[in-house]
Order: sequence, then structure tokens, then C-alpha cells
Amino acid sequence: MPRPGDFRELVGGFPGESGRVVDAPVSRHDASPELDTHGTTVIAVKYRDGVLNVGDRRATANMAVMFDRAEKVLPLDDYTLIAISGSFARALEIVRYLKHSFKYYARRELQEMSLDGKVSEVSRAIAGNLPMALQGIGAFIPIVSAYDPRTNEGRIFFYDGMGARFETSEFGAAGSGSERIRGAFDYIIRTHKPFREMSLPEALRECLILLDIAADLDAATGGFAKVLPVAKGVNREGIFEVSAEEMRAIVAEVPPREDFGMAFPAL
Amino acid sequence: MSLTPYDWNQSIQTRMEYIEERLRDGSPVVGISIPEGVLLVTIRRAQRKIYEIYDRLVFGGIGNQSDIETMRNAAIDFAHQEGFQRSPDDVTAHRLIGSVLSPALKRAFGDPFTAPLVFRGIFAEVADRQEQDLFYALGFDGEFRSEGRYSVVAGSFEAENRMIDLLHGAGERASDRDSALRLALEAWATGRLHSRRAAPTISKHDEDEEVDTRTVDQVLREEIAEGTLEVGLLDRGTPRESKFRLLRPDELQSIMAEYR
Repeated sequence: MPRPGDFRELVGGFPGESGRVVDAPVSRHDASPELDTHGTTVIAVKYRDGVLNVGDRRATANMAVMFDRAEKVLPLDDYTLIAISGSFARALEIVRYLKHSFKYYARRELQEMSLDGKVSEVSRAIAGNLPMALQGIGAFIPIVSAYDPRTNEGRIFFYDGMGARFETSEFGAAGSGSERIRGAFDYIIRTHKPFREMSLPEALRECLILLDIAADLDAATGGFAKVLPVAKGVNREGIFEVSAEEMRAIVAEVPPREDFGMAFPAL
Repeated sequence: MSLTPYDWNQSIQTRMEYIEERLRDGSPVVGISIPEGVLLVTIRRAQRKIYEIYDRLVFGGIGNQSDIETMRNAAIDFAHQEGFQRSPDDVTAHRLIGSVLSPALKRAFGDPFTAPLVFRGIFAEVADRQEQDLFYALGFDGEFRSEGRYSVVAGSFEAENRMIDLLHGAGERASDRDSALRLALEAWATGRLHSRRAAPTISKHDEDEEVDTRTVDQVLREEIAEGTLEVGLLDRGTPRESKFRLLRPDELQSIMAEYR
């Protein structure tokens, strides 16, 4: 029985499915790290009017910086954002797949795919990518942010490598730098205030500081010193992008890191 | 069973008459290019008639509802498959009509053992610059014509010709959305009036044939009151992911008020 509006059926599989997997058995340890572009930090927080996403621009392959202007926060449709981490190649392919999948459904069926339907489709796309991920290349983990018109609030979903979907109430982060700063989110919430009570500039400022810390602790994360990060959000009116000027103004507010000198143990 | 050339001719003739008779009452669709983007305009009774096909493609058709759906779905399938596997920039009206839809229609029409599609439609493509906007009018036999500033489909060729004449003579009248809507509605009503007058056997003096003697204004007053004005816009400059939207009732309020 064909499923009307199902894009996977139309193109014969998710990206990575349908025999397009590398033939030679590659074990995790053999996979060349140069092959796959990795490494990032992307952040999603709920602010007062919706969800804000901030991502650095660095794309690395092994020790090389492949590109320092990579876009890692991408719109899936007018009310859904995806922030990507992991294999850049697979991620972009899957984002293209998802965009088409949502549009295809809406145009064929003359109604929007439900938010639940969309986040499940992301799960299935990750699971479809599993054969490649298990061979050591192509794993990717996204964060999906959306504005839910039914509940009038921003929502954030994050995933594991097999496609399990979790909804978070405050924030989400993914990428090689995300683990380094995970505790800092909680620190901000407990000592300062919850992100959901912050205005957009306030939330953006916190996110930029978090990104800067991640860049300090993770070589694969570019901060904001050289190239401005990308910041996009979604609220009742849909998706918006924070302009370079706004971003520069907030970056200028971020207190510089004082050099307290290094304490060497006395010999 | 064997077929002679005569049978083929006969079957084509019969099919043509059958389809044209069924199309005759279809509510015309008018496509018009304006600086803001591309508009498709119609007045409908029951079913929605104007649909988004792809990022830059919109479609409006007349005919059997299930045939319109068949064409709409074929267009959407091709556009999304091609847009994903190649690039959205490679999904053009020219490729969609020329390589996919037109040959399929021609095959269905020419094959005496399949049901022909009762269908006539406009596909419109919005470009970055207005001069490059494109319209394709596609017929049930696979025949198509491409036009630059406007296009129409209606119940008969006579009606379409009258509409084209009107649009052609209008020059630069469609400089903004509201003036374009007025012009499109005038063209729509002209097409509506002439659909029934088109058959060659009908003369104005023939008492038995119903001849629509209403004026364009009367037609619009009556049809807008009874039906629904439907306008699809492909917005050239929007930052949104989807360029297509149906105009909301409040955006059509002032135009509709002119025909009350």
C-alpha cells in the first residue's frame, strides 16, 4: 500500500540507504578521519519568544580546518530549524532530504506535516544513516528547533546516533564542543536565570559566551574571534536570522577573557 | 482486433469532441506577471483550483477533478525527485512540461485503449527578474504554448483567444497587484462569457442555444457573489522558504467590494 506524500518512497530510500553504502567492510578504526568532515558546537536555547540557535562556522577533517564559513544552522521550513553536528557531508544530504520530504508532503497532501511527523522523519533519517555510521563514517546528530503553533511556544528536540528523539525543556547542544560546556548551561540557569525568561539579545549574549568557551576547549570549534558565528531563531512569525551588525554589537559586549597568567609548579 | 487508420482518426475525433464538451463549462484561470511575482486568478465553486508545485512553480487547471489531480501529482513528483537528486534550479517549467507532462498527455490522448485526460492547465514559473517569468498553457493532447507576461486557460479556444486579446491590449495596466487583479478578473469574465458561444454551430440567432448576453461586469458581480475568488501568488522577493501562498480574504476584500 503506497503512503501518499511519502518522499522516501518517491526517491527510493533515505540518504545512505539503498545500497549506496561503501562496499568494503570498514571497521571503525580503519575509517580515515581525513575522509569525513566533523567537529563543531551548535547550541539551541528557548528564549522568551521562541528558540534561538547559534553555531560556529568551522568544519574540520582530522586536524585540518576544511572551511571556516560552514553554515550549520539551516531552515527545514518556515517554522523549523535544524542545527547539525557530525559528518558535514551526510548532514547536508539529510537536510536536503528532509526539506524536500516536508515540502513534498505539504504540496501533495495540501496540509502541513505535523510537528510530530517532522521530528519522527528526522529520527527515521538518522536511523537510515546507521549503516554508514556503523562503518565509522557519516554519523551525524542534529538538534531540531520549531515553533509549535498549537501550544504557542518554541520546542527543542535532540537525538542520539540511532535516532532516538528527546525533547528538552530549556536547551540543547551538539557537536564535539558541546560536552565541554554542558554543565555551563545549568550554571547559567541556576545562578543567573532560565533562558526562557531572557530577551533575544540576553540569550544571544549567553550563547556567544558558551560558544567562546567551547572554542577554547575544543579545537574543532571556531569561536567568534575570526569569523562571526551564525545565529538563527524561530518565533511566532517564523524563522529569522540575526544580522551581522546585531551580532557584532553583542560580541563587543562580551567581556574579554582576562589573562591571569599561568601558574607553573615550582621545581 | 485490428485498427485501421480510419478507426484511429475516428477515435481521435470522438475523444476530442468528448473532452472539449466536458471542458466547456470549466471556470477559466488567468495567469499574470507583476513586479511582486506571479499571480494565478480564478473564481471557483467547489474545489480549490490553484496549487503549488515546487519552489518557483504554480499550477491552475480546468477539467475533470481526478485528472487535474493526476497532473498535479505527476508534476509534484517529478519536481521533487529532480529538485532533490539534482538541484532546485534544475526544476523548470520548460523541463516539467516538455519532458514529462506533455508526452504523457499525448500518449494518453492518442491511445484508444486508455481514458484520455479531461484537462487544460497553466503552469507558471517565477524568476528573479520579471522579464524572465514564464507561463505554459498545456492542453489535453499534449500541445503547449509558452508565454511571457500572461497566460490563460478556458473552456474553449474561442474564449481563450478573447481573453488573450484583452490582456494583450491592456498594455501596462498590470503594474501592481490590485490593477493586475482587476485586469485578470475582466479577462476571466470574458472567458466565461465566450466559453459557451464557441461551438461553431451556435449562432446568435439560434433561439434554442443558450447564449450568455450578460456583460463582463454582471458576470463578475454574480460569480463573485456565488463563488470564491481564488488568487495564488508566487512572491518573487520573499525571504520565506515557500514563495507560494493563496491570498487571504482580507487581501482580496477591496477588490471584491468593487463588484458588490
